[in-house]
Amino acid sequence: MSYNFYDFQNAIQQRNDYVEDQLRDGSPVIGISCPDGIVLFTLRGTQRKLFEVYDRIAYGAMGRQSDVESIRIAAIDSAHREGFQRSVDDVCLSRLVGFGISPAVKQVYNDQRAVPLTIRALFAELHDSAADDVFCTLNYDGEYRISKGSAVITGVRSADDSAKDLLKDASPASRDEAIRLAAKVWAHAYTAMRHARKPGGDVDETGVRLTPEAAFKGALDKGLILEAALLTRSTTRTSRFECCTSEQISAAVADLDLG
Amino acid sequence: MDVSLLHPKSGDFAAITGFTLADANQSGASHQNGLASEPVHGTTVIAVKFKDGVLTVGDRRATGGNAIMYDKAEKVLALDDTMLMAISGAFSKAIEFVRFLRHSFKYYERSQLQPLSLDGKLNEIGRLMAGNLGGAMSGGLVIPVIAVYDQKQSAGRIFFYDAAGARFENLQYAAAGSGSVQIRGAFEYIVRTKGNFSEMPLEAALAEALHLLEIAADLDSATAGAGKVLPLARTVTAAGVTEISDDAIRAALGASTTTATSI
Repeated sequence: MSYNFYDFQNAIQQRNDYVEDQLRDGSPVIGISCPDGIVLFTLRGTQRKLFEVYDRIAYGAMGRQSDVESIRIAAIDSAHREGFQRSVDDVCLSRLVGFGISPAVKQVYNDQRAVPLTIRALFAELHDSAADDVFCTLNYDGEYRISKGSAVITGVRSADDSAKDLLKDASPASRDEAIRLAAKVWAHAYTAMRHARKPGGDVDETGVRLTPEAAFKGALDKGLILEAALLTRSTTRTSRFECCTSEQISAAVADLDLG
Repeated sequence: MDVSLLHPKSGDFAAITGFTLADANQSGASHQNGLASEPVHGTTVIAVKFKDGVLTVGDRRATGGNAIMYDKAEKVLALDDTMLMAISGAFSKAIEFVRFLRHSFKYYERSQLQPLSLDGKLNEIGRLMAGNLGGAMSGGLVIPVIAVYDQKQSAGRIFFYDAAGARFENLQYAAAGSGSVQIRGAFEYIVRTKGNFSEMPLEAALAEALHLLEIAADLDSATAGAGKVLPLARTVTAAGVTEISDDAIRAALGASTTTATSI
C-alpha cells in the first residue's frame, strides 16, 4: 500500500480533529504569579488536576486522565533523576519540557500507529521573585511555549484569546487575589469554549446567551469542584507546593466579580 | 527523543536513578583522604525526647583516624518535615544515605500522591543499612539515630539501627558515635534522678543533652566541645523540624556547663 502527500496531510488533520474534539469539553487550567508564589487554578471532576512535580515545579493539565497521569509521572521521574544524579539546582523547567517531555510527546504524536495523547498541559516554575517565574504550556503534538507572569490552557483557540486578554498586565497582590483572577479567567474561557461548540454560540431556549456568571455557576451546579494550589515563595517546610483547602478557595472567590 | 519516558517504572526511585548499594559500597570503601588513612567519620550525636517531640544534638567534628578533618560538619539532618537523621560513622556514606532518602521520600509522595508511612520510611532506612553491610565491613559503617514525630501517636519517637539494618525503638534517648559509649550510663542517671526526658520542657532537655555532649567531648578525643564551634540542635515536633538558635544553645550551655572535672 502506498501513501501520497495528501494521505499524510489527512492523517495529521484527523489526529488533530480527534484530539481537539476531546479537549473541547475540558476544564481550563490557569497559572498566575503573585508575590506569595504561583497559583494554579481549575475546576475538576472526581480526579485531581494540579500536582507537584519537583521542589519548585508544579503541573496542571486537561485531557484524558490516563494521559494526564503519564505526563505527570514522566515529569516527576525526569526531574527526580536529574535532581538526584546532579543537583536540585540543575532541575529546570525549560530543560525538563524542552529536552524531555516535549520530544517524547511529539514522538507519540508522529507515530501513525499510536493513539495520540489527549492532553494540554501547563507547567509552572517558581523563582525568588514573581518577575522571574516561568510558565510553559505543552500541546498534544509536542509543541510548547514559555511565558512569564501567567499562562492558561483551554479547549479552543478563541477561549485562549479571551483568557489571555484578561491576564494581560494583571499583577495580583496576593494568593487570594490571584485565585479570584484565575476564577474569573476560568469563567470567561469556559464560556468562550461553550460558545465555540455551536455556530451561533451557547444560547438557551429563551434566546439568552451564556454569560461567564451562568457558566461558572452551571459548572459548580454540575458537580465540578474548585481546585487551587500554591507554589509558595516562603516556607519553613520541605515542600513549597500546597493544595489550597476548599475553605481557602471559597473565601477567595466569595466576592467574585465576573464582569 | 525518549518515548520510554512516558512508560514510567511505577514509583521505584532506585530504578529511575540507577542508585545501587554496590555503588554506595564502592564510594564508602575509599579510605584515602589526603590527611588521614581512614575515611572521614562523624562522631557523637544524641537524641532525647521532650514533652513536645524529640530533640537531637550533634557535635560538629568529623575525623579521619587521628586527624580532625572538619569542625563544622552537619550531622543532624532533616529527611523531611517529620523525621531527623543524626549520623555517625562514615561521613561520605551517611551523606549519600541522607540524599537518597530525602529524594526517595519526596519522590514517593509526589508520584503516589500520598506520603510514605512512618513504617515505610523506617523500612527503607533498614533496607539501606542492610544493603550497606559489605561497605560497613570495609570501613563504611554508618549508625544513624532517627528522631520522628509520629502523627498517629501524637508523640516523638526515637529509633536506631545496627549495622545489618535491624531496627530498635528507644523509649527515652539514644546516642551514637565514638563518644556515645562514654556517656551511656549518664543518660540512665539523668532518667533515674530527674525523671523521663519525655516529660521535660525543651529548655531542660536541651541543657541535659548539651551537658552530655560536653561530657562526651571531655572523654572522647574525636568529639568536639562547644568551645570552638557550637553544636547543632534540631527538634522535630507536630509543627515540623526546627533548628535551635545559637543564642538558645549558648543560654543552655551556660546553664549546663560546669568547670569541675574528675579526670
